[in-house]
Amino acid sequence: MSDTKGIGEELAKLSLGIAAKENATYSDFRLVHTRNEHVSVVNDNPSSEESDNLGVGVRVLYGGTGWGFADTDETDHDSIREATLKALSLAKGASKAGSKVSLAREPAHVENWDSPVEKDPFSASTEDKYDVLREATVRMKEKDVVARRGELFFSTIGKYFANSEGSRIYQNLTHSGTLIIVAAKGPNGMQRRSAQQYMLSGYELVDQMRLPEEAVELTKDVLALTSAGKCPEGKSDIILSGDQVALQVHESCGHPIELDRVLGYEANFAGRSFLTPDKLGNLQYGSEHVNIVMDSTLEHGQGLGTFRYDDEGVMAQRKYAVRNGKFSGYLMSRETAPRVGETRSNGCMRADGYKLPIIRMTNVSLDPGDWDYDELIEDTKDGILMVTNYGWSIDQKRYNFQFNCEKGYVIHNGSLGEMVRGPAYSGITPEFWNSCDAVCNRDSWVLWGTPNCGKGQPMQVMGTGHGASPTRFRNVKVFGAS
Amino acid sequence: MTQSTLVEQETMRQKAHQIFDMVKGFAHGADEVEITLATNIGEYLRFGHNELGQSQHSKSRDLSVRVTTDRRQGRASTGRLEKSLIEKTVQKALAQAKAAPEDPDYLPMLGPQQYRSVERYHEATVDAPADVKAGHVIFAIDLAKKNSLLASGVLGTSADHGSILNSSGLEAHHRATTGHFSLTMDADNGNQTGFALSTFADIRDLDAEKLAETALERARLNKSQADISPGKYDVVIDPAAWSETLIFLTVSASAGYSPDFGMRQYKEGRSYLSGRIGERIMGENITLEDDAYHPLQTGPPFDGEGYPKSKLTLVENGTLRNLASSRISAKRYGDAKPTGHELPLPNPLGELPTNVVIRGSGPTKTPDELVEELDSGLLLTRLWYVREVEARTKTVTGMTRDGTFLVENGEVKQPVRNLRFNQSLLELFTNIEKLSEPVRNTSFGGPTMIQPGVLARDFNITSVSVF
Repeated sequence: MSDTKGIGEELAKLSLGIAAKENATYSDFRLVHTRNEHVSVVNDNPSSEESDNLGVGVRVLYGGTGWGFADTDETDHDSIREATLKALSLAKGASKAGSKVSLAREPAHVENWDSPVEKDPFSASTEDKYDVLREATVRMKEKDVVARRGELFFSTIGKYFANSEGSRIYQNLTHSGTLIIVAAKGPNGMQRRSAQQYMLSGYELVDQMRLPEEAVELTKDVLALTSAGKCPEGKSDIILSGDQVALQVHESCGHPIELDRVLGYEANFAGRSFLTPDKLGNLQYGSEHVNIVMDSTLEHGQGLGTFRYDDEGVMAQRKYAVRNGKFSGYLMSRETAPRVGETRSNGCMRADGYKLPIIRMTNVSLDPGDWDYDELIEDTKDGILMVTNYGWSIDQKRYNFQFNCEKGYVIHNGSLGEMVRGPAYSGITPEFWNSCDAVCNRDSWVLWGTPNCGKGQPMQVMGTGHGASPTRFRNVKVFGAS
Repeated sequence: MTQSTLVEQETMRQKAHQIFDMVKGFAHGADEVEITLATNIGEYLRFGHNELGQSQHSKSRDLSVRVTTDRRQGRASTGRLEKSLIEKTVQKALAQAKAAPEDPDYLPMLGPQQYRSVERYHEATVDAPADVKAGHVIFAIDLAKKNSLLASGVLGTSADHGSILNSSGLEAHHRATTGHFSLTMDADNGNQTGFALSTFADIRDLDAEKLAETALERARLNKSQADISPGKYDVVIDPAAWSETLIFLTVSASAGYSPDFGMRQYKEGRSYLSGRIGERIMGENITLEDDAYHPLQTGPPFDGEGYPKSKLTLVENGTLRNLASSRISAKRYGDAKPTGHELPLPNPLGELPTNVVIRGSGPTKTPDELVEELDSGLLLTRLWYVREVEARTKTVTGMTRDGTFLVENGEVKQPVRNLRFNQSLLELFTNIEKLSEPVRNTSFGGPTMIQPGVLARDFNITSVSVF
């Protein structure tokens, strides 16, 4: 990665110079060098791949009204010149059908930043990676188990950002991810148990996840699920595991606070949002126990939404999206922040590689509450504990949702009772979050990683972080898969 | 085919050979070598809120190198085609192979093959001037403005070249153009919406004005929605409405989003179809094929290792008949023959049909005729955010979006609020009574599906959203 900054500086000078000469209102340049490794074992079949990509994205605002963007993975001077002129040409065309763009002010930043890494995943041997996965998948071998999967993901992203306002930023981010899945067949069809985690981390994550030991526990679970009963139907109090709360936050809070959706720019694909600007500071989104932050700073944790600067050069920040239950803020860009009266973006423009930056979740997390997990179970007279997501669906304005989980337990008089298969719950977002009456404390709070959030046309994939702990909701519609 | 097109095609083939020669020269110690070279140029005029806010031009290349040593396989890829970086990529592939366990499914690389020609490259799409494409977008925006609506969407075109070459002498080349115009018109913060979609290989097939008028008509109708009760409804599903739903016929979440119609998954018991060959799983009027040569299909006539694709009848008159297969399955299982449905190797997930065509028996109807023949029920113009609930019955949940209409006596009477469904796809495909001619569609850039509109009984609506 050491040459990424040097190449970036040289090419940025060329690209920004052309844009300035052509009278662009604003331009920025990103050079992104990505190295990935994916190692996988499915049943007894191994597979691994390493990839290395370098590309440039040039964004230009012309006439104060039109944006154009071009990317290329050819990094010679002619190609950068061509890409910059292409972005200018598109910006000039778009300026005829655009309206005045006002960019929120951001200081010019000059900084180099490396994310924390204890063990470089690319220094760890691929043999060791296979060994971990083979040990985990071998431990899943049992009668009725039909699928045993283990996967490891590693990436380092070196990116150089420069803009026409003087920012010159180099960041080097290392991510690691682990995934294990075991599926078994029984009289009620196929059941699945899985565990995954993705973080801004080095290889130390693989050690922390203890995949072989976890594989044994998941296998016991999945075999028990094949003969477990169906989840009861009706209204019930529910406790969701931390990883399930993380996805609930992602879908029902993270997406509707994306300001590009709110303003209608995603209406054709990702959709719109029920959290319109008139509700900002007014809507009681959830109960007083619900505090949700948008936090890309390292102090929040090493999540997939942690960085030093976003992809338009705005410094990482922490802001509340929901405070004491009240809707308090959006995920924003420099262009959209002024539309809701903000003087500064909170730094949520992120790009898949060197593609066009769009508004994305950073770490959108539910603050821990003050409940001890065991005390929360004891305090629940009757209810259902639901663990780990199986399927998720929500309408395009993020009101009506349904989540299916991998396993559940019926709670009787404050104790976990029988296991149930395919537990599911559904609701309407603000009603649901207003039914929240208990959030577990920091002892059970984990910053989970969601590696595959899709948005944009053409589709971009982004990793996001969601801190969460087990949480209780009252009187929710529950049911079960057949 | 013009002179310039021929020259470009020849240049890409030469480039693939040059790189392959380079890779072979660097692959000391490898038993076998394969390269897959892909290039893409795309242009996307993306607009929202009646503004062209995200115009994008994109150029990318991908060289993927597979090597084998002592029955072990490794793969490495790069978009950087400088000689020194290609060498580095080959070294990485070799290192991956050396680190890998022996592959129990290892097979020597495939030798030279003959391919049926498919012509999917249209210069008109490549050469379409940006201002002409922008004109289509501006027409839609102007139409929306005149009707106090907001237009959002994307008009995208792309040109792709792909080649596979290996040390056993295999050489496969393919190129294609694709495009889509996806358009939403809305008002009142998405409470009033209409959607239309058209996909094309040749941009001259795009009727942008008709598309804009369809989105407009639906948005105008979709105002002041009524509330209805959950329950079972007879439905007409528009042909462009449900690619995101249909993809779940071929992929399951139960084993971690892996394909279902493949021989390996079937035999290992990982598929919801395992043990069901010969069983009637859908209505007798439904046939599912995998046909890479269908005139509306996209993609190359070969699979991920260069094996020629066969046309395959997966479900015939409702009965599961055949599975997608590969050389690995043929080696593993005595009753399997390769059909050209392997993914790039090594592929632990199994085979995938990538060119599904769904059709009915008997005469087809137009989408309008399907509505006219619905006595009482719902017209669904877009299904959204579909996910699997249960694999064995292929039960999925999702929402309707951008126009859900109550139909009475064959006429659209009233828009209704967006609805959540929990529906078994196998049951749905048993309850289909009438079908329209299939159209081309894709979901999230995934495999292309040729899919009809349908009139089906007893679609299971489980809740109603608030808009």
